Amino acid sequence: MELDFSILSKFQYALLLGLWTTLKLTVICIVLGCALGFAVGLARTSRNIVLRALSSAYVEFFRGTPVLVQLFWIFFCLPLMLGVELSNFTSGVVALTLYMGAITSETFRASLKSIGPEQFDACVALGLPRNVQVVNVVLPQAVLRAIPTLLSNCVSLFKESALVSAVGMADLMFVGQNISNNTARPVEVLSVVALIYFVIAFPLTRAVSVIEARILGKLAI
Amino acid sequence: MDYTFDFNAVSLAPLLKGLWVSLELTVAANVIGIVFGFGLALLIMSPFKLVRLPFMLLVEFFRCTPAIVQIVWIFYCVPMLFDVFLDPITMGVLALGLNLMAFNAEAYRASIQAVPKEQIDAGIALGLTPIQRILHIVFPTAFRASVPVLLTNGIVIFQQSALVAIVAIQDLMYQGKSLATETYRPIETFTVVALIYFAVSFPVTQIVGLLERRRQLLVS
Repeated sequence: MELDFSILSKFQYALLLGLWTTLKLTVICIVLGCALGFAVGLARTSRNIVLRALSSAYVEFFRGTPVLVQLFWIFFCLPLMLGVELSNFTSGVVALTLYMGAITSETFRASLKSIGPEQFDACVALGLPRNVQVVNVVLPQAVLRAIPTLLSNCVSLFKESALVSAVGMADLMFVGQNISNNTARPVEVLSVVALIYFVIAFPLTRAVSVIEARILGKLAI
Repeated sequence: MDYTFDFNAVSLAPLLKGLWVSLELTVAANVIGIVFGFGLALLIMSPFKLVRLPFMLLVEFFRCTPAIVQIVWIFYCVPMLFDVFLDPITMGVLALGLNLMAFNAEAYRASIQAVPKEQIDAGIALGLTPIQRILHIVFPTAFRASVPVLLTNGIVIFQQSALVAIVAIQDLMYQGKSLATETYRPIETFTVVALIYFAVSFPVTQIVGLLERRRQLLVS
């Protein structure tokens, strides 16, 4: 068969619009998901057993089920539970934020664990209240150590965001599939879509290894 | 919320049939991933740049694009490009297996690099051929070190296998979707589907955690 990539020039705006939706969704969910993840990470290391059990159940459940199932569940169930109509975008944000929160909480938990007990002793000795402890001592170190893994979590989220096409959100994947169905040229269109995802995700994964080496060097851990 | 739950509407028989397909896909993809992943790891560690680069690109391509794009691509483009028409399950196994192969290759690479150099020197001293060294020294050590990651990747593929529902393979997710449409009971159906996925994944993740803790004890 003959390949004809020129047909794509007609659809470049549609693809860019799809990419814009994908990126918007990804960035919003990264910001919300990281905040949620940090809170859940703290809850999982807390001394309160109820808090710990609840946060563990949440994380295990979201890590133990496919993101596609989570998406479908939230699309169908959240509107019924809340009794309000939610837009596609809102449901997508909720679903991916919950997923991102679950995976980043594991990252934060691991980096929280790496903060030595002497630091907490020092906090006690200095008489710092719990909130100052968390914001000024724990957070900066935990975040710094978590950065490489967080970045790979962001790449995962960017890739998982393609799933929202299955529930009819017009992201890059959805636009690509639509164009490929309408033009009957799946090879060209889908390859370009895959390439766009690759071009964005690949530099990020490279950045992960560079930053990892730097941070490991700096902290000497 | 004025919604009455009716879990009786969810018939388990089709879901279990779907689960069986999901498990078949997972097991077959894992066989491909574990066996060929090791070969791929050796290729991306090859001392020859011409061998190494194309395979590294392949691995990165699978790791840096969404699994759903890969599955849809393989379903639509492989038959058109190569004129091969396989049954959907084989295509699903191929798509998931290739994806897992790339991820496992990275896992193997890390543990191959961790095989102590002395062991390989010992192999040379014993007069083993390069292939014997790989089969009897590198593979067993690297495999054992990668088991936790291989298991984690394996369970991730079980979850990713839900994506084949999009290309109409009748796995657990697909059965769940059609049951939800038939019964008009999406909440109950998707809850049960989620619970089934969870019931399979959770024990495996617990085992991985146990293995890792044991390994750390052994190392320290």
